[in-house]
Amino acid sequence: MAEESLVYLNRKDLISAFIRSFFLQTVWNFERYLSYGVAFVLLPVLKKVYSSTEERSQALSRHLEYFNTHPYMASFVLGAIIRMEEEKQQLPKARQKQKEEEISALKVGMMGPVAAMGDNLFWATVRPYCGLLAVTLVLSSAFQVKGQYWVIPLLFLIVYNVAHLGIRLTGFMQGYRKGDQVVLTLRKYGFQESIRGLKFASVILLGVLIVFVNLSELEKEMGLFILKLTFFTAIVGLFTFALHRKISPSQLFYAVVLFALMLAFWPDLSAPPQMNHFAPSKPALAEFPMEMKSTKGKS
Amino acid sequence: MPHWFLISILLAFLSLDVTAVGQFMVSRPIVVGPLVGWFLGHPNIGLEMGALIEMIWIGDLPVGAHLPMDLMMLSGVSVAFACELLGNQYPPEAVMTYALGMAIPLAALSTEVNILINRFNVRWVHLAQRMALGGHFRTFGWINWFVLIEHFAKGFLVAAVSLILIHFTSSLFFLFTTILNGRVMEGLYYAHWLLLALGCSAVIDLLIEKKTIFYLMLSIVAIMSLAVFDQMQGVYLVSIALCAGFALALFFMGKERTNG
Repeated sequence: MAEESLVYLNRKDLISAFIRSFFLQTVWNFERYLSYGVAFVLLPVLKKVYSSTEERSQALSRHLEYFNTHPYMASFVLGAIIRMEEEKQQLPKARQKQKEEEISALKVGMMGPVAAMGDNLFWATVRPYCGLLAVTLVLSSAFQVKGQYWVIPLLFLIVYNVAHLGIRLTGFMQGYRKGDQVVLTLRKYGFQESIRGLKFASVILLGVLIVFVNLSELEKEMGLFILKLTFFTAIVGLFTFALHRKISPSQLFYAVVLFALMLAFWPDLSAPPQMNHFAPSKPALAEFPMEMKSTKGKS
Repeated sequence: MPHWFLISILLAFLSLDVTAVGQFMVSRPIVVGPLVGWFLGHPNIGLEMGALIEMIWIGDLPVGAHLPMDLMMLSGVSVAFACELLGNQYPPEAVMTYALGMAIPLAALSTEVNILINRFNVRWVHLAQRMALGGHFRTFGWINWFVLIEHFAKGFLVAAVSLILIHFTSSLFFLFTTILNGRVMEGLYYAHWLLLALGCSAVIDLLIEKKTIFYLMLSIVAIMSLAVFDQMQGVYLVSIALCAGFALALFFMGKERTNG
């Protein structure tokens, strides 16, 4: 093949493909999942790499086959596919068919493990960690008191998207650099270790959350607080058992409301502690720091 | 609900983030709640409801072909409803619980509509296949934008219908509270605290394993001691927990790497 007929992708092509990767799931469907998304990401690359309409059509059709993985981690696969498509066009015609099969094998081989890793890392670890951090800050009332309501959502978005965009960009660039060897580089990022570490960090935050939910009673008396904490632990244990038995949070929500309504209509409990029904009250979650301040010096 | 049209537009834009574009998590309850709340003049209520929804449904993950509950619609509609009911001197905890209870079926409906759209998208893929084979690459690319408009329209319609429906059922709330002489409010007030417990359970169910129970106990005891005996403020406790968590994470990552 003459050197002048070879086409190399430039920075602009890669940026275009990377931006398109944000639309990977737009046409998500139950038949071929992310297939259209992959083809949409590759469209500008394939247009550049293949000169004839027939070649482009065939390449695009190849990428419309079944593909399903985690949307962020897919960037590793996408980068590698782009590299392999670029390499394929530089090969002699006789070896191009083999390269096509290699591309297909890479997609099939990588989508499962990468999806499992992405689900575990992002959906089950990073997102809950960021959510937990935000919820704990809401319960601490640190920013509500000053009226800075936007700080917590902004912090959540920043922390989450640093990880999200970092992985997407790194994955795409590494995929393009390493091509079909990208599988070997996945291990060096230490995703499993990060998942393990973040789980421990989340558990520490969870401890703070549980304390914050119960702290509003501190102002009254220690005995009441301990009683409340014991009751709370029992309730949490019961709910955890129910969730573990695959009862959905929505079903549990209605069960909780029904139980609370029954409690309210129970004759002996008709007078709830320190509650004025029709007087505007502060949201319970926002009380914590003020109470903490007011308890100072009382002990 | 004079702002229902603008809120529906806002929710329609945010609904694109759920699956269609990027997934930057601007559609999470902790972001949608305060945003809608701020729009309606009650950002604190939005933030608290967002936090509660985030906690309770934290374990509902989009793994494989499973579509989780549409939390964006749940938080948007429930916060809008709560803000509408708030000006009537009822305890906010009770109002938030009631609004959430009313919005759950609508969010479930929205999830069903999402499933229908994902089924319908199969036709778009077949069309894309024909366009690819026919060499119509421009039309092939346009399919993406058509489906994006489809998602936006779906988000707008579901939000608008939900907000209108909820607005017209708000009289039920006043009926309950008037006829039942405050008892319902009392029950909903209790329920709010129980819902926080449910949220903690959801987090425990997702994160806790046999190996981590000890660290949870340790964290609770340490934080409680700091809060009770040192009278430390919430934000400092969170900072300490973050640093401790970070140190623990580094320790276990190093340990795992050495073992591996």
